[in-house]
Amino acid sequence: MGVVLGNIIAIYRRELQSYFASPLAYGIAGIFWLLSGFFFIVLLLGPQGVIQQAALADIQGQQGVPIPPIDVAYRFLSAFLELIGSLSLFVLPILSMGLYAEERKRGTLELLATSPVTNWAVAVGKLLGVLTFFTTLVLPLLAYEAIALSAASPPVQPGVPLLGHLGLILLAAAVLSLGMFISSLTDSTILAAILTFALILFLWVIDVIAKTIGGGVGEALGHLSLLKHYTNLVQGIFDTSSLIVFASYIILGIFLTAQSIDALRFQRS
Amino acid sequence: MIEVEHLSKIYGSTPAVQDVTFSVEPGEIVGFLGPNGAGKTTTMRILAGYLPATSGTARIAGYDVHENSLAVRQRIGYLPETPPLYPEMTVEGFLYFVARLKGVSAGDRAQRVRNAIARCNLQEKHSVLIRKLSKGFRQRVGIAQAIVHDPPAIILDEPTVGLDPRQIIEVRNLIKSLAGSHTIILSTHILPEVSMTCSRVTIINKGKIVATNTPENLEASLASGSGYELEIDGDPAAAQQVLQMLPGVRLVESIASLAGGNLPENRACLRVISEPGAEPGRDIVTVLVGMGLGVYEMRRTRATLEDVFLELTTEEKQLDTEPEAIVQPSEVQGAA
Repeated sequence: MGVVLGNIIAIYRRELQSYFASPLAYGIAGIFWLLSGFFFIVLLLGPQGVIQQAALADIQGQQGVPIPPIDVAYRFLSAFLELIGSLSLFVLPILSMGLYAEERKRGTLELLATSPVTNWAVAVGKLLGVLTFFTTLVLPLLAYEAIALSAASPPVQPGVPLLGHLGLILLAAAVLSLGMFISSLTDSTILAAILTFALILFLWVIDVIAKTIGGGVGEALGHLSLLKHYTNLVQGIFDTSSLIVFASYIILGIFLTAQSIDALRFQRS
Repeated sequence: MIEVEHLSKIYGSTPAVQDVTFSVEPGEIVGFLGPNGAGKTTTMRILAGYLPATSGTARIAGYDVHENSLAVRQRIGYLPETPPLYPEMTVEGFLYFVARLKGVSAGDRAQRVRNAIARCNLQEKHSVLIRKLSKGFRQRVGIAQAIVHDPPAIILDEPTVGLDPRQIIEVRNLIKSLAGSHTIILSTHILPEVSMTCSRVTIINKGKIVATNTPENLEASLASGSGYELEIDGDPAAAQQVLQMLPGVRLVESIASLAGGNLPENRACLRVISEPGAEPGRDIVTVLVGMGLGVYEMRRTRATLEDVFLELTTEEKQLDTEPEAIVQPSEVQGAA
């Protein structure tokens, strides 16, 4: 077990190192931070932003129209995290595309496949590496949120942002895990990114279809939707089934990756 | 140490390796020689556990490469056809990564990495990014990667490809220095490599083993190239006829010139191929002088591994049945 852990750490460190040495990763980080900063301003201070809405409601309240009170901090947080989630869906395929496709193209997969490491240990190490990189992308956003939430009175329950960010990490892990599997199917990083993005679209379409048809089938389909579970977590609704769905996607991705690398040995010419 | 029995690998319907059987004793360096596409890389990959064989077995240190893949992988160092390198890492960083991956304990890592760097002459490049290295240095990092964990068995697929002549000599010396404590199998299509580094040669062609022996024995066993080359004056046809009758002479043929030089007027060149073990040199001179012909040059020719190789890998030309095969090596010799 210690050996396997050592292997995972070796793969993890190399993977992480390659992100921090890659200009592409810095480019992605820059765009991600720029867009999220933009979203932050628009959501908070824009004409349709939460503060504006609250102010409007205040005026209506003074005019005698009875309206429920708005929890600005909470509304802002869930809306912001939902936007960041959607933004991530564009960024994640780019992070996962090279995981195996690059190794295949460079021939380094031959090194990994002939070292005393199991396929799943490699997959786990890689997934943890890319997930850590994504987490560092998200970390600076905490500063934005701290600015907004520190002004909240009464203060926001710490559970809500915690659950929201956990949801974000889980969503990312699930998408990256599936993206890793797709990356293991091809030598081309671009193709891996496009296919992963197509898969995300497909999962999104399932969500839409589930909502449209409704009923038992719709509900069953809806449970497969990553976005629905993410939205729940972001709104502070904790449900074990959400965790199970995310965990299933992550494990499925790792399992399929290990299988695909194993199968590669049999079809390679 | 390495035992391969009836190994076959079939891609779809094309066989890449057919019924290959050989073994490598501990401490030996065995060369796996063959033209491009002969199945060398496929065999190496099967040995390294990267490809499964269609049938047959391969064992390293007693472990089946397929069934006990992890046990085998712990005991081998493998340099694939293209060195598996991460361009964004430094030489040292990469070797540390490989050492960790191969399960070298934390305490030994620094020592092992330093050793590998020293052995492959990478000291001055140890903190350079692999991306910035020339092809020769990359190849050396590839070899360092294969020996960093000090494995008992080392599999090298074309270790000297892309190196300049000086580096080739260094790498050959490196490989020779590894013998004894390591068992090495290396594939190549470069002949001198085998005769210089390997204690035994296995020649493979079209997926089949055509010969296995020491380089010296292989050269000796094929007498095809051994004989004499002569530069004479007078009538070459008459000389040819007379020489043909001598005991120990198998064949006499007329050749354009010796070593590709220009021939003066009224001179001719002949090649005499002798029977295995025979030495008709003395008789040849006696007869020629007796005929009143002048002998301007006479040299002995020997079969080289190149001849053997061409002999064995040239199609449908069996030495024993068709003497034409002899023409083939002579052309190579002339060019070399």
